[in-house]
Order: sequence, then C-alpha cells, then structure tokens
Amino acid sequence: VAAHPTRRVMLAAAAMLPLAAVSGCDGVDVLDAPPSPAPDVTVLREAIAAEQLLITWYTAVLRDARDAGGSPAALTAVLEPLLAEHRAHLAQLRSRLVVPAGSAATPSPTRRAATPAGPGPGSAGVAFLRDAEQAAAAAMLDRLRTAPGSLAQLYASISASEATHVSVLDAAAAGTTSRVTG
Amino acid sequence: MSRRAAAALGTVRALQSALAAEHAAVYGYGVVGAHLTGSQQATATTDWVAHQVARDRLEAMLRSAGRSQPAAAAVAYQLPITVRNAREAVALAVVLEDRIATAYLGLVALGNAVIREYGAQQVQA
Repeated sequence: VAAHPTRRVMLAAAAMLPLAAVSGCDGVDVLDAPPSPAPDVTVLREAIAAEQLLITWYTAVLRDARDAGGSPAALTAVLEPLLAEHRAHLAQLRSRLVVPAGSAATPSPTRRAATPAGPGPGSAGVAFLRDAEQAAAAAMLDRLRTAPGSLAQLYASISASEATHVSVLDAAAAGTTSRVTG
Repeated sequence: MSRRAAAALGTVRALQSALAAEHAAVYGYGVVGAHLTGSQQATATTDWVAHQVARDRLEAMLRSAGRSQPAAAAVAYQLPITVRNAREAVALAVVLEDRIATAYLGLVALGNAVIREYGAQQVQA
C-alpha cells in the first residue's frame, strides 16, 4: 500500500461522498434517474450478446467433439480459427461500448429473445453453427442501417466475416476444407 | 462548402474508390482465371462476371447520385503479386477481394441509407 494516496484512492474516496456534495450544486440533476442509454448503445449491446452466444455455441460443439472421442482433429482445425475470429469480433465490439457513468449498466432485457436451443452433437452441430452464422450475418446487416458511420463499418466487417464462415462450414459439412476464394 | 455539398462530395469519392477497385478486379480476375482450371476456373469466371456487374452498378450510381463522370479503367494494372501458377492466382484473388472489401467499407460509413446498405452487401459478397 502506497504511503501517499494515489489518484485511484482519491477517486474511491470521492465516490463515497454524497453526490450532491461532490457536484456542489443543489442536486436537482444528480438526483434524476440514470440516463437511458442511446439507441446506438442498445444495438451495440445486442451485437455483443449475439457474438457471445456464437462463442458459447462454438465452445459447446468443440467440447462435444472432444467428449465423443474419435478423431475430432479435423473438426477442431475448422472450428478453432472461426472461434478465434468471433473472439476478435467480441473484443472489437466491446471496445466501442462506452457506458456513461451512472447509466444502467446491465442490458435491458426487453428486446432479448428467448435463448434458442443449443447445437446438437456431431454433424448436426456444424449444421447448427452454419445456420447461426447466417442468421448472425443478416442481423449485423440490419444493425448497421441506423448505426453511426464507424460502427456501421465494424458491423459490415463482422457480417462479412460471418458470411465467410457460412461457406467454410458448408465446405466442412461437405467433407472437404478446400475452397476457392470468392 | 455547405454540409450537404460536403456529404455529396464524400459520396462521390467513396463510389469512385469502389469503382477503381472493381476496375482493377475485372483486370486482375482475367489474369487469375488464366492460371486456373476446372472448378476453380469456373468459380473465378463467376466472380469475374460479378465484378463486371458491380462495376456497371457503381457507374450507374455515380451518374445518378453524383451527376459525375465515373472513373475510367486504367489501360493496364501493376499486379501486387506475380502470378505464375494456380496457387499464386488464388493469392491474387484474395488480395483483390481484400482491396474491394476495404473500398466498399467506405460506402458503409456514408449517411445515404441505400448506398450504405449496398456497400455492406458488397463487403459481404
């Protein structure tokens, strides 16, 4: 523990004071309800949730393949790079999420659909991931209509990546991983 | 310059960039296809035609939206990769597609909803 208070300690101490005292005003504004997040933020959170769901499903299919024994090496070789890309998407999306202090920190559950059933075992898992990628790519295209420019570019890139995953998974389902670029 | 004029100029520039990339792709895919055989060549031919269609569409968009002269194709292009075999041909196609995707991302940043959506679809195509 540092002998002198660091900036972090000062901030923590300030946070414990009543808000009105810190702001030095009569507290009319600070006592208002937390501001509701901008529409962009809601859409961004949906995008983040969608990526998290895909990651969960990929992880489940990979785990099932390992548990089933046999030779999951071929499947792993296909799925692992795709999973890595989804993790990269998620990191990019999260980096764009700037939550104003005091606003509702958790995503609003209102627009959240019921969690769909997960992937099945074996080849059904790959088919499930393929359909999930296709749906995710389409949903990303919907999101970019109203997004600010730079965010729209990110959504477009992710959508394009997911559309590519569909063809990779198609090729994997067809028993071959060779593909001509297109 | 007014905000509207600046937006229109931005739209024209982004469309011209995408068009330039499509011109280069149409040229490049000719080289790609020449080094491929069988189903790979068939795929390259399909892509080649798709890039010609996209080029024509961009030219039409420029004429209507920007009332400006679409950029012409160069007589020849310096290819980023020397293509001597099928493997290098596929590598060239990857580079061409990469550049096109980047150019179309420029359209996605625009305010015009129709152009933005077209750009996004083309990034994915």
